[in-house]
Amino acid sequence: MNFEVPSEAHLHWNENEYNEGKKSVMKTIIILSIVTVIEVGAAMVYDKIYPTGGGPKMWLNLFMAVMSVVKVVYIMGIFMHVNHETGWFKRTILLPFLFLIWAIIAFAVEGGSWHAMRELLNVF
Amino acid sequence: MADATLHHGHGDTGSVKELWNGGKSPFRLGYGKVMMWYFLISDTFTFASFLIAYAALRFAQADNWPNPAEVFSSIPLDIFHGVSAPLVFVSFMTFLLILSSWTMVRAVQEGYRMNKDGVVKYLIPTIICGILFIFCQYLEWTHLIHDGMTPTTATATTKITNFGQLFFVITGFHGMHVLGGVVLNIWLAVSAANGRFDKVGHYEMVEKIGLYWHFVDLVWVYVFLCFYLL
Repeated sequence: MNFEVPSEAHLHWNENEYNEGKKSVMKTIIILSIVTVIEVGAAMVYDKIYPTGGGPKMWLNLFMAVMSVVKVVYIMGIFMHVNHETGWFKRTILLPFLFLIWAIIAFAVEGGSWHAMRELLNVF
Repeated sequence: MADATLHHGHGDTGSVKELWNGGKSPFRLGYGKVMMWYFLISDTFTFASFLIAYAALRFAQADNWPNPAEVFSSIPLDIFHGVSAPLVFVSFMTFLLILSSWTMVRAVQEGYRMNKDGVVKYLIPTIICGILFIFCQYLEWTHLIHDGMTPTTATATTKITNFGQLFFVITGFHGMHVLGGVVLNIWLAVSAANGRFDKVGHYEMVEKIGLYWHFVDLVWVYVFLCFYLL
């Protein structure tokens, strides 16, 4: 029986694959840097205009959260090369993250409820 | 030949039968790489628990939560004393990690080419960035503790002790991961320089430790988001 050695192909790149990989990584680092500069810039501009808070803080937060997801997609997809893994391995990595969606919603609601109870119970 | 030993071993010495009871690797991937991913998934949940606890406590004290631009308003170096520069220092730390992620992935790619010198060449800046990051964190912690923000006390700007507790626990836990990554990378660079992976026949170990290092960067994206940007 011919035994297939795991992931043998991806451990040894030819010159072409190497150059492709190098290029995609360069593109990714530029995107990550630009996104970070935009995030920090937005936070600084907001702080200049609204030094005491208020204003469109909700929208800014939403923007920051979306930008962070963009960064994670690039880090996981290109740097950790999830994009190039086989289908089911990709799924075993990504599916557990669905639990996090539940956890974030559940505990945001929980925190809101503590906030509402604060006036009644004065625990914080 | 179902029990044939992988001729490269992929960093593991056991036979296929010992490692995978079904006789072959389920995803046609090395054992160590699959296990590294599963470790990282479990670690994701540890960090997520911390950050979700942060979110819940923050929602509960929404009216009283400190403004990050005020708390992190200075650069903890003597020459910048008294200068108001919110987020500048932590942005520098973020860029250190992004840069080190890039050098790490370049080291992995040089490994795919079996280029020993390339691997070492890119691991060294990765290690330096990691050490610089930890040093920056030391400076920032010292500065904040000096100002009176500790895990048990709050200042006029941090208002509530929960903020200090969460900050030191979460950035401390992340810093421990960076420290672990630096130690692994030093071992990796020394092993590569000694020709260990040329002898094994492949550089999968660089890829495995690279996954860990990128994960540390990935976690920082969310620590940065929660403490400094939101």
